[in-house]
Order: sequence, then structure tokens, then C-alpha cells
Amino acid sequence: MENSEFVVNNPLRALGLEEKTSGVQAMMGLVMARAGLGKTAILVQFALDCMLLGNKVLHVSIGEGIDKTRAWYDDILSLLTDGEKLESIPEIMKNRMIMTFKESSFSKALLEERLDDLVKQNIYKPECLIIDGYNFAENSRESLEGLRKFMNDRGLKMIWFSAVSHREDQRVSANGVPAPCHEVDSLFETVLLIKPVGDAMKLDIVKCDSCKLDPGTTLMLDPSTMLIKKA
Amino acid sequence: MNKDLSKVRNIGISAHIDSGKTTLTERILFYTKRIHAIHEVRGKDGVGAKMDSMELEKERGITIQSAATYCSWKNISINIIDTPGHVDFTVEVERALRVLDGAILVLCSVGGVQSQSITVNRQMTRYNVPRIAFVNKCDRTGANPEKVTRQLREKLDLNAHMLQMPIGLESDLKGMVDLISMKAIYFEGPNGEEIIAKEIPADMQAVAEEKREALLEEVSMFSEELMEAVLEGGDIDEQVIYDAIRKGTLSLQFTPVLMGSAYKNKGVQLLLDAVERYLPCPTDVTNMALDLKDNEKEFAVSNNPDDPLIMLAFKLEDGRYGQLTYIRTYQGKLAKGDTVYNNRTGKKTKIGRLCRMHANEMEEIESCGSGDIVALFGVDCASGDTFTSEEISCSMTSMHIPEPVISLAIIPKDNKAQINMSKALNRFTKEDPTFKSYVDHETGETIISGMGELHLEVYVERMKREYNALVEVGAPQVAYRETISQRAEFNYTHKKQTGGSGQYGRVAGYMEPMEDGEFEFVDSIVGGVIPREFISSCEKGFRKSLEKGSLCGATITGVRCVINDGAYHTVDSSDIAFQLAAIGAFKEGYLKAKPIILEPIMKVAVEGPTEFQGAVMGSINQRRGMIIGTTEEGSYSVVEAEVPLSEMFGYSTVLRSLTQGKAEFTMEFATFKPVPKGVGEQLVKAYQAERKNA
Repeated sequence: MENSEFVVNNPLRALGLEEKTSGVQAMMGLVMARAGLGKTAILVQFALDCMLLGNKVLHVSIGEGIDKTRAWYDDILSLLTDGEKLESIPEIMKNRMIMTFKESSFSKALLEERLDDLVKQNIYKPECLIIDGYNFAENSRESLEGLRKFMNDRGLKMIWFSAVSHREDQRVSANGVPAPCHEVDSLFETVLLIKPVGDAMKLDIVKCDSCKLDPGTTLMLDPSTMLIKKA
Repeated sequence: MNKDLSKVRNIGISAHIDSGKTTLTERILFYTKRIHAIHEVRGKDGVGAKMDSMELEKERGITIQSAATYCSWKNISINIIDTPGHVDFTVEVERALRVLDGAILVLCSVGGVQSQSITVNRQMTRYNVPRIAFVNKCDRTGANPEKVTRQLREKLDLNAHMLQMPIGLESDLKGMVDLISMKAIYFEGPNGEEIIAKEIPADMQAVAEEKREALLEEVSMFSEELMEAVLEGGDIDEQVIYDAIRKGTLSLQFTPVLMGSAYKNKGVQLLLDAVERYLPCPTDVTNMALDLKDNEKEFAVSNNPDDPLIMLAFKLEDGRYGQLTYIRTYQGKLAKGDTVYNNRTGKKTKIGRLCRMHANEMEEIESCGSGDIVALFGVDCASGDTFTSEEISCSMTSMHIPEPVISLAIIPKDNKAQINMSKALNRFTKEDPTFKSYVDHETGETIISGMGELHLEVYVERMKREYNALVEVGAPQVAYRETISQRAEFNYTHKKQTGGSGQYGRVAGYMEPMEDGEFEFVDSIVGGVIPREFISSCEKGFRKSLEKGSLCGATITGVRCVINDGAYHTVDSSDIAFQLAAIGAFKEGYLKAKPIILEPIMKVAVEGPTEFQGAVMGSINQRRGMIIGTTEEGSYSVVEAEVPLSEMFGYSTVLRSLTQGKAEFTMEFATFKPVPKGVGEQLVKAYQAERKNA
């Protein structure tokens, strides 16, 4: 099996965002869902897609351990390859580094310090950043703006965040982005929302400034694997 | 001898290095009155802890060999194996777990779940060992038993819950609240031997009640009686709670967490109570054996003292009076003068002396029964042998033994040292299956191999101290492997017709890479082109070829050899002719199959203060390491990486100077991976030069 064969249904390509990983213009994306609906699975698919396109990914996991995060990659890769052991997998995995923080200890300053440690010593220079578990309810718009600036300064091409929405919080932005991200939606080029509909799982494109698909389009997810279904 | 097996506990004490296992064992022995004074691991009195009986252990402050002891607490007998924490001595841990029924997992209240705790936990899971967690060192700055309990859940996936709450922490540690009896327990007297139960301090009452409620909710899952009692409200019988926790613990679905400070004599007696209440007795555990008379069919041993004897030798030691063999009895009984049968060798042995071990001291006993751990004298056997009485023939399931990853050349300084070295190696290789030795026929050097630098260092030191064998030591060498990367055909004829009887044999077929396993020989010969009697000769020849690869002289693995054609001569073909033909065929195919060199990759975890994380990552990067990830928890961080073993020599010194001695690392074998091209070329060059000079 060639690498190209198992990326055809990956989300970046499904959304037509693969060029963003090599573009000059950086982008910030957000995957939202209620707790336990599979945000990490979608983020990991984005990360794997970036890695397969030859980009280095730094996966920042807030509140989860390295082993659990690694297990997500192993599971999704195994689904994408139908359990086949590919010779290229160890090479692909060289494009991934995981950083885990306790919820209470994560800060933009700490992330900057850690990333600079990696880049200045020429250990690892990521192009894509995944931040899973960022607390939008407790962090201000300024912090996010800071992260956006940080991304531009460090030459990162993409940052993907995950955010938990709550059924009882009905606030929504003009673009349809639910709380707690309704007031910061302008900072994101892409916002996706995972929604369970009956037995199916849908991925709503709430906002996408540079997608090939229009906002309002819905992609179907396989509920057992959380992979994007073939059209 | 205690005949009631419900009053016997065979337990191990395992943990990450420096978590205080040996100190804890010292306190257990003191409180159970096996020793009358406490000596610290690196105490000023210079005596050292009881269980660290080897000179080297006392000097280095680490446990190298697992020591066995027994003690009595209230009305139960406890056999304890204190096991080493360093990953290089992992086989000692594995062996101990094989024969134990339960274990105490000791954790540092500051370091929490560290890399070796993960390894040890994995080993316990492999052998289905129920466990109690003891959060030690609660008197240290930064102690946080709650955090450690959380880590047990998150990192080890254990359903861990605290049965106690600390009263004060760090230097203020006073005692603990027992969430079952709802009493505050204090430890008074010069060595904490007086246990005082008082009312819970008023400011802790509310939190204690909340925690008890959460605990009861959790353990009520294991007992309907408790669940009903919880739902009804009112007083709950403590025994009902103990029974529920015991049930959860034995089924490996619950891990009780206790806490204290062994060094400050706090919490150890409560841990002993927990051993009695929650850890299994020999009859609670099902141990399987293989019936050698019935096609190795598995059966559960009975634990019945009236059944035929079954016992397993799990550890050997060469002491003053000859070989000492530690055994665990699984059923039947053994008395002095009995004759037992070694199922591996088929030899009968008469038991002369039988002892209970107490570190390096022993106590002679007349007999032992099912569930006991004792030592025998003068029994010639290897570690892992099963002994039975004559009427049955069985073997306890085999133990998992990891392959050595590092080797070292040793050269005796003189003739006397040569003789002593042979004696020492003979003993060490018998005692420790992860320690191997052989003579390299090309260089004439004796090579020893093991699980890490420290592992080999300790054996070289023991050779000197115990056998007066002075040896010069070469630089540590990585145990490389060679393998093939593609399929290749061979067709080789071995023909020798000069003088005497001739030799003739032709072997043809192909070799291909094999993902799992070391070697496979497939006989696809049809029509008798190679006669049946020479097929095994071909296999022998191929196996011989695997011993040394042509790239760097390393063992060849991962090869499947298929023979599908050949030829023979009615007079000149012989066993040796076909062996040589197979060797020639292998040589021919091997070079065409694009051989590559594989190197051992180690999983390395560096733990230390966050401020040094950048420097640590830099040092790993310089060593061709791949950083898997980093974990930050407050001021403490862990960097996990995969690094080639060849790059890890001397890393402890580098790490010490990089981090002002504040960081430590552990490593264990992860996998074999192909070496980068440049490194491979260097290895080939070095091997060729070595052969030229030999």
C-alpha cells in the first residue's frame, strides 16, 4: 500500500486544505463538539495528514498522557491502513512529537519556551501544531491572539484546536460558532462541528475561509472509527 | 510450619529505583520482630539494610539480587521477596513475580508513577498479580499522594483509590485517617511502634466523610451486601468493606492505595494489615502447570498438601555451603530426606537440607508445604526447573526471559584469574538467564552479555570480589543483529574429491525475510533429490551460518530458508557434506539478499526538574534519539525517547553534569531497527579490520 492510498479520505484533503500545509499564509482551525464525541480523533487525522504530506507536527495534549495520545495515532493509522504494517510508518512517525501538560500548568509562555528549546537546538521544527484540550472558557481572547501571533512569528503553517461545547450553553456567534468559542470565532479560518444525528455522526463546516467546500456543507463520519466517509 | 494456607501470604515488593523498597522491608522486619534494630540503606552506622546483604548493594545503595525473607504479622505468615528496582535486573523482578501471589507496588510520593513503575506494573499484569499501592516518602517536600493515586489511574490504568488520607504532609506528616474505621492513626514511640487511634481532627472530618463515601461507592461494586448497606445508610460493618476491597483486589479490578513514610516509621503497620486483608493466600490464586505425560496439557495445581509434590526452582545462589536453590511449592509437601525428581533433566535428587531464608541468614526447617517459599541445599539444577515427586511429571509454565542487548570482552589477567573467571561465569550464567557468556572463536576473547552497563559492571565486580578473578574489561559493545531485506535464490554444490573419501551435496532454494521469529527452515524437497537423512544436515548447516553474519559478525535473525532442489551422490554424500553445502548455499544467497545490520533501540525516559528539559532534549537529539514526547507536571518533567543503545554509553555522566545531578534516566530494550547507512558502513569497516588483524 502506498502512502497516497491511505490519505485520500483524510480531512485536510476532504476539505481541500492540503495546500495550506505548504502555503505562506498560516491558518488556525477549530474542531468543536460536546464531550466524548471524537474531537481528538479528528485532530489526529489532521495531524496524520500533515505528517504524510511531509510536515512536522507538534501535538500538544493538555490533560492527557503521552501513551494515550500515542494510542490515538496508532489506532487511527491502523484503521487507515487496515491493520497492515507499512514500512514507511516509522518514517512518518518521525514527523510527530507529543508534548503533554497538566491543565493547571499549561500557558502560552510555557509552550513558547518549550518550542523555542526545540527549534533553537535544531531538535525539531514543527510546521503544524495541534492543541488538544485548550480551555477556551478560562482563556481570554488576548491569549488566543497571542497564540496566533506566536504561530506567525515561528513560521507555523497550521494550528488546530479542539473545544468542548455544552448542550446547556445556547450562545452562538453570528457565524453559528457555539460557546465557548462564539466570541473568538473571527480568529479562526476554519471551524468544524461534530454532531451526532441519530446513529450517524456529521462533521458540519461552520466556517471555512479557504476550503474548497462551502460553509454549511456536511461531511459524514463513520461513527465506529470517526474517519471521514468516502463520498 | 503454618498448615492453614489462608494464613500465608507470598508477596513481592517492587518499585522504581530509589522509591524506598528496601527501607520499607527493613521496617516490616522490625515491626514483625524479625530484626531488633533498624539500619538505613546508606546509614551512618555502616551496617546497611538487612535485605541488601551483598557488599556491592550496601555500597551502591541499590538492590541487585532479590532477597527472600519471611515474617509473621498478627496471625499470618508472610514470605517477602524484596526485588531490585533497576531495569537491568528486571529478570529478578520477573522471577519473583512468577512465584508470588500478591505484591506491594511502592511509589515515591514526589516522583509518582515513574518509568520503572510502569515496567513493574506491566510485569505484574503479565503474571496476574493482585497488588496494593503504597505511596512512600510522604515526609518529603513536594509529597502529593492524591497526585500519585491519580497517576495510578491515568498512567497505569488501575482502578486505584486511597483507603487513607494523610494528616499533614512533608515535614508535618503526623499520621493518617483510615477511611474505613474513620479513625485518625498516629505512630508514636522511638520507632513508631505504638499505634494510637484517635478521633479525626475536626478540620478534616468533612473531607474524610466525602472521601469515604466515594470509596464506598467504588468498592460496593464488588459486594452486593455492601451496596445494600450503603443504600440503606447507617453503620456499615468494617469486615463487609474489607471483604469487598479484597474481592476487587483479587480480581485485579481494584487497587487499594495506602500511604506513609517508611523512613519516618509511619504507615507501615497499616500496610501489613492491608497485606493480610486484601492480598491473596496461595489458594486464592490459580497457578497452571503443564502435564508432560499428557501432551503438555495445562492443569491447575491443587495447593493440596496431600497431593503429589510440585515445586519450582526460581532462583539460584552460590553460597558458602554450595548451591542454594530457592523454591516455591505449589502442592504437596517436602521433608528433609525426601527424593524429588527434576522434570527437565530426569534426575532424582535427595533433599539434604531445607531452610527458610532471611536475607543472607538461614534457619533450618524439617519440612515445608504447599504455598511455601524455602531454600534447598546441594540440589544441582537451573533456574526455572520444576521438581515433583516421582508419580507425576509436569512443568510450571515457562518464564519470560528478555534477550541480552549489550556485550563486553573480558580478558583474565593471569592463569589463576582464568580459572577463577571460568568458575564465576559458570555460576553467574546458571543463576541469571539474562547473563550470557561465550568465547569468540575468531578473537579468542571471552564475551559476556547482559541487559545493560550496570548489569555487566556488577558481574565483573562480583568476579573480582567473590572469585578473586581479576579481568581486564574491553569497551562495551552493542549486540547488533544482521538480517536480510529481500528474497534471494541459492544453488550451491559442495564437492571435494581430493584424497580419502569424497564429499558431495547440492542444495538449492531461496531465502526470504521473516517478520516475526529468528529462523525458519522449510523443506520443500520432492522426489527425494536430497535424501531424508540429509534434510536435517541442511538445517544444521543453515543454523550454523546464522551464528555470524558477514557484515559485522553479528548473529543473523529473521530469515526463512526454503530448500526445493538438490542432488546427492550414493557414495560421497554424507551429513557433513550437506552441512557444508547448506553453509555455502547460505553464503551465496545471503549476499544477494541485501543484508542489513540491526541495532537495539532503547526506550529511554529522563525525569528531572523542568528547567533542564531543553538541555535533556538536546542531549538526546545528539545521540540519534527520537523524542517521542514530553510530560510536564508542575516543576517536574519527563522526556520519553527512543535512542540507539550504542549512543547511550556514558550517558549517566553526561546527564549528571547537564542537570547538576538532579535528573535520572531509565532505559529498557524497545526493538531492533536498521542502522543508518553511515553507521552501518563504519561497523562493516571495523569488522573487516578486526578480521584482518585476528
